[in-house]
Amino acid sequence: MALLEVEDVSKAFGSLKAVDGVSFKVEAGEIFGVAGPNGSGKSTLFNVITGIPFGPDRGRVKLGGVEIQGKSGNEIARLGLARTFQRETSFDGLTVFENALMGAGYGKPGRAESEVRERAAEALEFVGLTSVGFGRLAGELSVFDRKCLMLATAIAMEPRVLLLDEPASSLTKPEIETSIGLIRRTAERGITIVLIEHVLTFLMSLSQHLMVLNQGRVLAAGEPKTVIADERVVEAYLGTRRPAA
Amino acid sequence: MTSLPSPVIGAPGRPSWKSEAVGVALAFLLMALLPLVFGDTYTRHILIMVFIYAIVASNWDLSLGYGGVFNFGHLALFSIGVYAYGLLTKAAGVDPWVSLVASGVIATVAAVLVTIPILRLKGIYIILVTFGFAQLVMQVILSQSDVTGGTQGMVRIPGLYLFDHNMIRDGKIGYFYIALALLFLSTVFLRVIVRSRTGASIVALRDNEEYAISRGISLARQRIITLAASAFFTGIAGAFYAAYQRNASIDVFGMSLATIILSMVLLGGTSTIYGAIVASFVLTIFSEAMADFGPWRPIITAVLIIVVMLAYPSGLSGMIRSIWNALAGRLKRPDAALAGKTEERTAA
Repeated sequence: MALLEVEDVSKAFGSLKAVDGVSFKVEAGEIFGVAGPNGSGKSTLFNVITGIPFGPDRGRVKLGGVEIQGKSGNEIARLGLARTFQRETSFDGLTVFENALMGAGYGKPGRAESEVRERAAEALEFVGLTSVGFGRLAGELSVFDRKCLMLATAIAMEPRVLLLDEPASSLTKPEIETSIGLIRRTAERGITIVLIEHVLTFLMSLSQHLMVLNQGRVLAAGEPKTVIADERVVEAYLGTRRPAA
Repeated sequence: MTSLPSPVIGAPGRPSWKSEAVGVALAFLLMALLPLVFGDTYTRHILIMVFIYAIVASNWDLSLGYGGVFNFGHLALFSIGVYAYGLLTKAAGVDPWVSLVASGVIATVAAVLVTIPILRLKGIYIILVTFGFAQLVMQVILSQSDVTGGTQGMVRIPGLYLFDHNMIRDGKIGYFYIALALLFLSTVFLRVIVRSRTGASIVALRDNEEYAISRGISLARQRIITLAASAFFTGIAGAFYAAYQRNASIDVFGMSLATIILSMVLLGGTSTIYGAIVASFVLTIFSEAMADFGPWRPIITAVLIIVVMLAYPSGLSGMIRSIWNALAGRLKRPDAALAGKTEERTAA
């Protein structure tokens, strides 16, 4: 049984179908890539899966065989489905350590206070934020550090599935390289990852399976190399070929 | 592994529990000595009013400053405390001290009730609902004039007692210390909340609601906690106000009091608790000092608030922090200069 199952999920805003009948399955332990041009419905898909800020109009989402559509966003998070956001996001009024505490404390119910603190510190060390200082306000961090902090708050939850929304956006080339390593090490912790990225090379280096969306629909899915060779994918990204003169 | 910051919410950049406790103890000790300096009942009355305002303003800071919830019904919670105490003691004959605590509980229940319709609202819509709630409470009180006195209000409300101590002819010393004790309890209560993980989650929801929810924080639960916690001592302050003034009037619903208390929250600097308390002192005492200026008094006070807010958008707490940092910088500079010279010598 797949760990995350999305069945015929749709979301419309008026007459615009942002996500239109999307289905896919993610096996435990894999990195599943989701690609597509801007406006193809990638982030909306994450929104409807996590219920943040809205769930799907129709379709089913199962986590470990349990249907989660219709549950509130914080309930879904506590069941083990964490996400990051496209823009670097942090609780600016809290310190780095307090940010991690939010994930460690609220994202995994039933932990003792000492364990919450340990998990928070461990997650920060894992993403390499020890050097910036646990007591520094998150709002003072650089874009890359805030992205790392966002990942740390998710890891502190010890989620079963982690949805990463364009982790490479706004980053420099060396930072992207670091991010790739970090995502790979996150997967090695046993966390299943669904990764959105419109930069195909980034996805190719990480994903075991790839799904390409276009205008809210699944355009192609399968082995990454096969998918990017698909004529329809090339067309969606680069446009139609001009006939030779 | 790196040693973990202790306590839960405590790290470099935040004062430790110990230093904060020492600071609070010293500040309240100083305040407790004020009656020795000010023997006249008028000054003591002003200080009692400062303490009441400080409780209301600092509790508003919890929901408005920390929670980012534009709860414009906060003064209605104070008013509920006023009338709950009046009705419990006068109409129902309940013991004043029991009524005082019960008024806090009633205000808390009212806060929970008003939170339910605003759970999914943001910004201006929260203002509308909470403002409407305040109007509703006032209309209910006016409509039940048989027991509330309507526009006439309630008079001869039983006051508080302290064993056999005469609370009426003691130069207001009894009420002074009760008010100070309530402010102390309220301040400790608020600081314990804002320094806890719950307090951090309240800030997290304010900073980014969707991100906070994605980390498992329940918006409904935390918002109810925020407003309920900010209501308890506000209701008690209202009850104490009624016991001290020995009357209850719908004036407590007026925009004038709401504006004064909101000015204290903003002038003091939001998300500090202490800022609102300091501003309660500054505004009340400044306003009294300007008494001879007649109608110019509110104008001068308003200009002062605007000037401070322009110079220090984070209010008096920001101003105090800037002065403190500047002083600390000056104290450190000679050492830094000395260290620099030592390095130069070593290099040479």
